Amino acid sequence: MSYLRLEKLDVAYGRAAAVHGLDLVVGAGELVSLLGPSGCGKTTTMRAIAGLLQPSGGRIVLDGQDITTLPAHRREMGLVFQSYALFPHLSAFENVAFGLRLRRLPAAELQPRVAAAIAAVGLAGFEQRLPAKLSGGQQQRVALARAIVLRPRLLLLDEPLSNLDAKLRVQMRAELRRIQRELGITMLYVTHDQDEALSLSDRIVIMREGRVEQDAAPEAVYHSPATAFVAGFMGYDNLFEWRDGALHAPDGAAGRWPLQLPGPAAHAAWRPEQVPVLAPGNGLAGRVLARSYLGERIEYLVETELGPVKGVGPDVAAGWREGDAVSIALDPARAALIG
Amino acid sequence: MRSRIPWWLLAPALALVGLLFVLPVAALLAGAFKIDGHLGLAHFTAFFDEPLHTQVYWRTLRIAGLATVVSALVCYPAAMAMVKVPARWRGLLTGLVILPLMVSPIARTYSWIVLLGRNGLANSLLVGSGVFDEPATLLFTEGAVFVGLLQLMMPLMLLSLVSALENLPPDVLAAAQTLGANRWQSFARVVLPLTQEGLIVGGTLVFTGCVTAFITPALLGGPKVLMLETLLYQKVNVASDMAAASVIAVLLLLTTIVVNQVLKRVSR
Amino acid sequence: MNPISRPALAMLILALTFLLGPFIVIFVAGFSADETLAFPPTSYGLRWFGYLFGVEAFQRSFVTSLVVGAGSTLAALAFGVPVAYALSRYDFRGKDALRGLLTLPLVVPGIIVGLALLDLMVLVYALPVTLGLLIGHTTLLIPYTVRVVGSSLSNLRSDIDDAAITLGATRLQAFFKVVLPNIRGGVAAAAVLAFITSFNQVPVSLFLTGPGVSTLPIEMMAYMETSYDPSIAALSTLLVLFTIAVVAATEKLLGISKYV
Repeated sequence: MSYLRLEKLDVAYGRAAAVHGLDLVVGAGELVSLLGPSGCGKTTTMRAIAGLLQPSGGRIVLDGQDITTLPAHRREMGLVFQSYALFPHLSAFENVAFGLRLRRLPAAELQPRVAAAIAAVGLAGFEQRLPAKLSGGQQQRVALARAIVLRPRLLLLDEPLSNLDAKLRVQMRAELRRIQRELGITMLYVTHDQDEALSLSDRIVIMREGRVEQDAAPEAVYHSPATAFVAGFMGYDNLFEWRDGALHAPDGAAGRWPLQLPGPAAHAAWRPEQVPVLAPGNGLAGRVLARSYLGERIEYLVETELGPVKGVGPDVAAGWREGDAVSIALDPARAALIG
Repeated sequence: MRSRIPWWLLAPALALVGLLFVLPVAALLAGAFKIDGHLGLAHFTAFFDEPLHTQVYWRTLRIAGLATVVSALVCYPAAMAMVKVPARWRGLLTGLVILPLMVSPIARTYSWIVLLGRNGLANSLLVGSGVFDEPATLLFTEGAVFVGLLQLMMPLMLLSLVSALENLPPDVLAAAQTLGANRWQSFARVVLPLTQEGLIVGGTLVFTGCVTAFITPALLGGPKVLMLETLLYQKVNVASDMAAASVIAVLLLLTTIVVNQVLKRVSR
Repeated sequence: MNPISRPALAMLILALTFLLGPFIVIFVAGFSADETLAFPPTSYGLRWFGYLFGVEAFQRSFVTSLVVGAGSTLAALAFGVPVAYALSRYDFRGKDALRGLLTLPLVVPGIIVGLALLDLMVLVYALPVTLGLLIGHTTLLIPYTVRVVGSSLSNLRSDIDDAAITLGATRLQAFFKVVLPNIRGGVAAAAVLAFITSFNQVPVSLFLTGPGVSTLPIEMMAYMETSYDPSIAALSTLLVLFTIAVVAATEKLLGISKYV
């Protein structure tokens, strides 16, 4: 049962078409992420859903109602902006109360509801502070409370955590998930960070240049990328074309490495962690170009006939040096098969 | 950063402004309070005894106030439109708004003489279309002075508001919309409170600009519609009444200072 | 982005028409060939432009305006740039008071300044009128030069002066070789702004001019009291073109718009 449905949505941004024929379905209570590089159209899609941008084609249907031409201020959706967009002249309390005041809610109802929303985001006691006196994380929580206090039909979040430092980001991620589960709100989340998308979402929609590349559960996107682009985006640094029983170097270069794959595919991809770097003679020959110490393991960039390959060393203590001759083991059983 | 006062850098400017500006002006203003060698307010009471003078003072404040209100009403929406103009045209648009400020006020005011004179455009249209039988006297009226001053001062309000609108935090308007505010509510509850400093600055510039205007009232109001500065000129050149001139000078300065201070408090 | 709302756009167009329409009116009237001022003109020609060049008062006062304008601009820069430098590179008590003092000429209505200087210089000391004009205008222009050059200086880090000094320059050399070249744009903007302000200035000049020595705006106003021919329209047209040319040229050459 779809709660939000986008049908062949076209949205122009400036003179370019930012979103092309987008189809998307979000179920009630789901948390769906729009994931992709900057410029892929995810924010444009979100703003179109909120009514801040007018689509040039297609429909937006919410809970059975066609809202494509409904003005933004009547859509009853919450939007948490990347910049938070708190009203600087209003206290945290008044920011959260803004929407309720517009609806002329009587004070007896308004006060406890606002207080509850502020408490739900863990900011009890900060009601009278002005945004300038709040930290980034606190501002972000006020922005969230402001949106959810209105019990919106749909909550849209546009890269809400990108301005926070790494530790806070992880913390807030968990908070968002908890709140979403507790309130059962349907959420659409825009991000360019794949870790965020993987940890939060019920489903991930990977976008590229205004179109959907893959729309699936996190496990599927992670382990079974549908296209070469998705694989590249999700960290499959070793991506090769496969035809005539062999892997081919990318970009039409001459190198090839014969390999049998368990099934049909146009591309095969491996994450660095799946590619051991071994002593010469144990696979595809190569030479170490660079090494990176990553704490848990050492990552090597190895020049091979198939181009540069990223693999990991088996042993943290010992290891290869730049210029060493090594070999790369590409295990067909561990490959992600695409197309 | 050095901490000694660099006298040699400041002395020339200080000397010029101090000796050849502050002192003479202070002497002039003091003259308003000196009667036969001792201090008093007799000049002021004598000034306000004359009904013409009170009328002129009141007229000056009235026209200035009206011009300020009208320019605010027109320039707020105009400024909101201007900040949304694509970047390609912004520079040109800003230049077009600044240009009038750089052109001689005489030229700018003169265009109203062309428009409102007996053979001017307005009368050509009114008589030509049969609304009036003969040309109406549009010049040398309060309306003419008002329109001339409004045109002179409006860029100040417009630029001030544009600057304030540009400094709005990003997405604040969009946030208001998603929270359910329609256009008017967004304006009244978010834009207005956040840009009120720009409004105050613009309002101060327009109001004091109108109160201290000379050219426009002189050309469009003439001796019939006197404003404070044209009255002062008359007192000096025609009536040789330096006492009254000093009183007007004090009034001009006082009004400017009071308006500045009041508007500063209001914005707190 | 929200598109521009219709009423807002309408207001913008209205405002622009109101602000710029008069220039079109002046241009059209300037090219009138009628005897008296009528709009729309019944005939067109360059007659009144030609007439202007024959009016001696206009010629003379134009030269005076140029001389006073250039002179007071240079003086205002000479007095004001050191002040701007002091305000930006030195930290001393009384900075705010100084700024306030130097802003006074902007606050005090020009007509008062003119009258006060008339009293002092012409009536008491019987100084030549041109000198009075120069002094009056310079005082008026100092706030502009201080402010515009000041903003340009604040964008220039102060450690480059110190760097020059460690390389052996005196403070004065550092100023001329390092600071000045980098604030050229700001100085140019200040100069243009000051010159135009002086050229257009009326209230201060009002009492300081007399028969024989007058600025162009004053002469224009005097002429308008007696004659109603379109020559003033032609002169206004020239003034507008003159202003546009000055501003556009400086903008093209030095990109001053960022300093205003």
